[in-house]
Amino acid sequence: MSEKKQQVSRRQFLNYTLTGVGGFMAAGMLMPMVRMAVDPVLKESGHGGLTNVSLAVEDITTEPQRIDWKIDQVDGWYESEVSRSAWVFKDENDEIQAFSPICKHLGCVVSWEGNESYPNEFFCPCHNGRYYKSGENVPGTPPLAPLDVYEQEVRDGMLFLGDAVPREEA
Amino acid sequence: MKWKKNDIIQYMEAKDFIDSVLIPLVPFQVSDDNTLPSSTFQSEVIQILANEIEKELTGRVLLTPPLHYLKSTNKDTEVSRLNQWVQDVKQQPFEHVFFLTFDSGWKKVEKELDGTLLWLPGSKSGNLQSAEMRAVIKDQVDQLGELIRSYWV
Ligand code: FES
Repeated sequence: MSEKKQQVSRRQFLNYTLTGVGGFMAAGMLMPMVRMAVDPVLKESGHGGLTNVSLAVEDITTEPQRIDWKIDQVDGWYESEVSRSAWVFKDENDEIQAFSPICKHLGCVVSWEGNESYPNEFFCPCHNGRYYKSGENVPGTPPLAPLDVYEQEVRDGMLFLGDAVPREEA
Repeated sequence: MKWKKNDIIQYMEAKDFIDSVLIPLVPFQVSDDNTLPSSTFQSEVIQILANEIEKELTGRVLLTPPLHYLKSTNKDTEVSRLNQWVQDVKQQPFEHVFFLTFDSGWKKVEKELDGTLLWLPGSKSGNLQSAEMRAVIKDQVDQLGELIRSYWV
């Protein structure tokens, strides 16, 4: 142990440290500039980053499961941790689907098979809104649009989710 | 819907769908050092519960500001004050009024209330950030939501 430590000479040690400190200082000066340059772009697109929602892709089944996670959000006066949720499953083409649980009628939280009378559907308890497994709203129930879809990405076998976006009108 | 302008505007456009009101009942008393920690803790928890219920059922439930009252006052006075709130609420087409509280004092006067009392025993202390606490709160929110929904059918 101690032999190894002595392999770093005083000069080397100083070099390392100074490079480290210098780099740190440079980064400190550069970061705000980079941010200033990049920030407006980020804002314009309105995209927050993607968040690791702690769900391994191999654990995603064809049965929708509810995932909850937290993100930091600055909203006018408040900076806060807000929670987000999604219904996640693999569809018949083995593609991952991540739907927002927010009902497109008036915003209640829908659940998968939330009503015994409507198996294989998402159900909204507030005014009996219904959605097929594809997220499409069942005609004749209050919601007039399909559930929003989360931006998603898979990195290293983990699911990352971003913002929920409305689908294009088909 | 929350007691915020944007939500209220949405409410005004969909009055027929938002037929329930939730009013938290929260005791307030600064004078007694012994009860200060527990009463502020319970006040925090009841607000969290109310907010979470509102989030789940926002399309049908309007969450009002809490009714605060001195813990030491006679409940009869408070009953009439609360019922005045309800009278005002009922000027709008609301069908269901729910009160949410940890204060068992309301249980005794439950029959005189113009609405449904959701009383639950609350713990006096705890760590709101802990995993256990979150699990307990989530469970309570689920059960309260279920209870509220049972009045809708
Ligand atoms: S909020 Fe979902 S059906 Fe009305």
